[in-house]
Amino acid sequence: MDGLKIKKVSKHINGLKLIDNVTASFLPGRITALIGPNGAGKTTLFHLITGELFADTGDITYKESNITALPPYKVARNGVGRLFQDVRVFENLSVFDNVASACYDYQSETPWFPFLKANKMRALNKKISEKVAFYLDFVGLSDMKESPAHSLSYGQQKLLAIARLLAGGYSLLLLDEPTSGLNPVMIKKVLGLLERIVNEKKNKTIILVEHDMGVVTEVADWVYFMNEGRIAFFGRTDHVLGDKEVREIYLGL
Amino acid sequence: MTLLLQLLLNAIVNASVYSLLAVGFGLVYRSMRFFHIAYGAVYIIASYAVIYGMDSIGIPLYLSLGAGLLIGVLAGIAMDRAVYLPLERRGASTAVLFIASLGLYILIVNFIALMFGNEVKILSRGMEPSFQMGSFVITRMQGIQFLTGWIFVIVFWLIIRKNTFMKGIWAMGETPALVMALGLPYRAMRTAVFMLSSVFAGTASILTALDVGIDPHVGMQALLTGAVAVIVGGVDVFWGWIAGALILAILQSIAVWQFSARWNDLITFGILIAVLLFRPQGLFSPRKRREER
Amino acid sequence: MNYILHLLIMIGIYLILSYGLNLVVGFGGLLSLCQAVFYGIGAYASTLLMMKTGISFVPAIFISMVITGLFALIVGVPALRFRGDSFVLVTLGLQMIVFTILYNWVDFTRGPYGIPGIPRPVIAGYKFSALHDYLLLVAVFLVIIIGILFIIYKSPFGLAVKALRDDEMAAEGLGKSPVHLFLYAFVISGMVASLSGGLYATYVTYIDPTSFTLDESIFILAILLVGGTGNRIGPFIGTVFMILLPEALRFLGLPDTVAPNVRQMIYGLTLIVLMFFRPQGIAGEYKVQ
Repeated sequence: MDGLKIKKVSKHINGLKLIDNVTASFLPGRITALIGPNGAGKTTLFHLITGELFADTGDITYKESNITALPPYKVARNGVGRLFQDVRVFENLSVFDNVASACYDYQSETPWFPFLKANKMRALNKKISEKVAFYLDFVGLSDMKESPAHSLSYGQQKLLAIARLLAGGYSLLLLDEPTSGLNPVMIKKVLGLLERIVNEKKNKTIILVEHDMGVVTEVADWVYFMNEGRIAFFGRTDHVLGDKEVREIYLGL
Repeated sequence: MTLLLQLLLNAIVNASVYSLLAVGFGLVYRSMRFFHIAYGAVYIIASYAVIYGMDSIGIPLYLSLGAGLLIGVLAGIAMDRAVYLPLERRGASTAVLFIASLGLYILIVNFIALMFGNEVKILSRGMEPSFQMGSFVITRMQGIQFLTGWIFVIVFWLIIRKNTFMKGIWAMGETPALVMALGLPYRAMRTAVFMLSSVFAGTASILTALDVGIDPHVGMQALLTGAVAVIVGGVDVFWGWIAGALILAILQSIAVWQFSARWNDLITFGILIAVLLFRPQGLFSPRKRREER
Repeated sequence: MNYILHLLIMIGIYLILSYGLNLVVGFGGLLSLCQAVFYGIGAYASTLLMMKTGISFVPAIFISMVITGLFALIVGVPALRFRGDSFVLVTLGLQMIVFTILYNWVDFTRGPYGIPGIPRPVIAGYKFSALHDYLLLVAVFLVIIIGILFIIYKSPFGLAVKALRDDEMAAEGLGKSPVHLFLYAFVISGMVASLSGGLYATYVTYIDPTSFTLDESIFILAILLVGGTGNRIGPFIGTVFMILLPEALRFLGLPDTVAPNVRQMIYGLTLIVLMFFRPQGIAGEYKVQ
């Protein structure tokens, strides 16, 4: 299976059960939403997938590779990319460099690369330059490419993070609240981007953590509803969001 | 055997001074979470104030000692008011405070060297009377160090346990935002921290200066001893600091016996690195370092 | 004239030291208090190699750089598990321990007695004994090393290290391994410092451990903090400022007895003032976090 498979994963910290025997599958070619009240374990689940945290029990496989115990940098090299809830752009680097940093493969990121493979590096730099320009254009930040990332507004930084993520060419995208803190204009823009991604590249697996149900209904086909560290519900978007229990626990209706 | 016990006795005396250094440093590190390098400057300010009082103004020793401590305290508080607090208000990170503190240390130590010269100065003159206790020998100065150091530490501990204000200071390091939210007097608490820290530094300084003398550059040594004791014992455990001081003193004594005092620093920093590598939260800290990998 | 040559040589040696440390402090965002360790090991290794085995300057420097690099690798692996305060403490501990060893292992290093009579470099039969010759030598090494470092700064590797500095979690999420990348930076920085050590040793023709103390590490770090880190111009400004300042004082007629202390006072004051108004240093790209 070409997607992400989480099997019977649990995680405690200090006796508190953060993730309780979660099993879930996320298929490529679709956007699956992960919703739930605060503290339900959504970000923790992301941490477990990316390797920030290690699962106590269970397995996580992506594209048939076991990524359960891999450290974050190795998970990323397996094609897993993440958009953080708190943005996390490289503040002291320019907008251009932020996106460029996602484009180099780890073999080119060694001190001897520029000396032993000078020609290859020149070609690589050129190719990446074009790639960065493309993605900056995609998110509408081309004018700001020399500006340091700390000078951007919150919304612009979010767009930058999206551009950086996309430039990395990841096949599994973990999006943690991509629209939070954005004004309606920006939200529309981001949604447009998400739809473009999913329409253009059919092999991408996208997991979306969101609190805005409008966004979820608009872009997600399937929804996992999490509560207290467990998967409480799974199904098609309108089905989950229409469910009485979900509405009670989460939507307060 | 007797030799070993004598060394142990010396170690416990040294540990009393090291404990003072540890408590003084630990108070600032624990409640404000940054490295108060200028602590080393406060250390020498106290003794040099005493020297100034005695040599230049002619005040008798006992008054000078009090004045020296007072000047040390004022210096410590001044450092906070003039440098640390304003920087914190500007949102400075702990690294910035670290560097500013380093700058303070360099500035003050060299000023003192300029005023008083680089050579060692001894506070008291003449031979120290020593006492025979069974087969052990202890000098009067060692006795004073032992008593002063341990009494200070124990009294301090008794006060922290009971006094709410002191508990507040302890909590400051845990959750600084809470302190302000509870309406506790943040500035006053900071002043108290630096006041106490400087008293401990000054006392340790004077006890040592009376014994072996002082020069402008031993401040760094004193700071590092206190810092290592705190980190080895565990930043969050008061008695850990004391334990750290004891461990350092005892291991140094043994090193002196087996090799020579020249290798002291190797012991001190070897222990520091060993603890950082294998138990970074400190030997006596129950809490595991924040998670993963 | 000799005096000016001397100043330029010292500036050259310290430029190499600071551009090397820049990789760890400026690019990596890790405050390090042990650059003098690698400086010292380089000095001692090349000296002992030249004087005990008779090999000439260039191979001695080269071998000593390799030795220092290996040492940096061995201590770097455990040390680079730490960040922030803890990392500074580990480098501090390393500095104190290595100094104690250099000072007390008299059989090997002659400790406080030092090693006198270090020969001036002989390269391809030519002995660089005159001052202006030596300046030329330093200048050549400087150009080569800075050239190499600038290429590294600008490379994908340099970018990756800066990304790790700015946000380690996000950089890891892009597949960058902090373990490997920081280690490369640390080892390169150490090897560069080692070269400086060799140049210094053959310049003053006498070394003892007191040139490689914590104070020295603090001085080199201060160069970067004052001048600025993370870019190409900061270390230059810092080095020139920190080395020429005492000379300016001497020029102003400050007596030699007080000059060292006044100089240090100015360094201290400069650090404090900078932290208030310009924490990124005079010309730095990166504000210490």
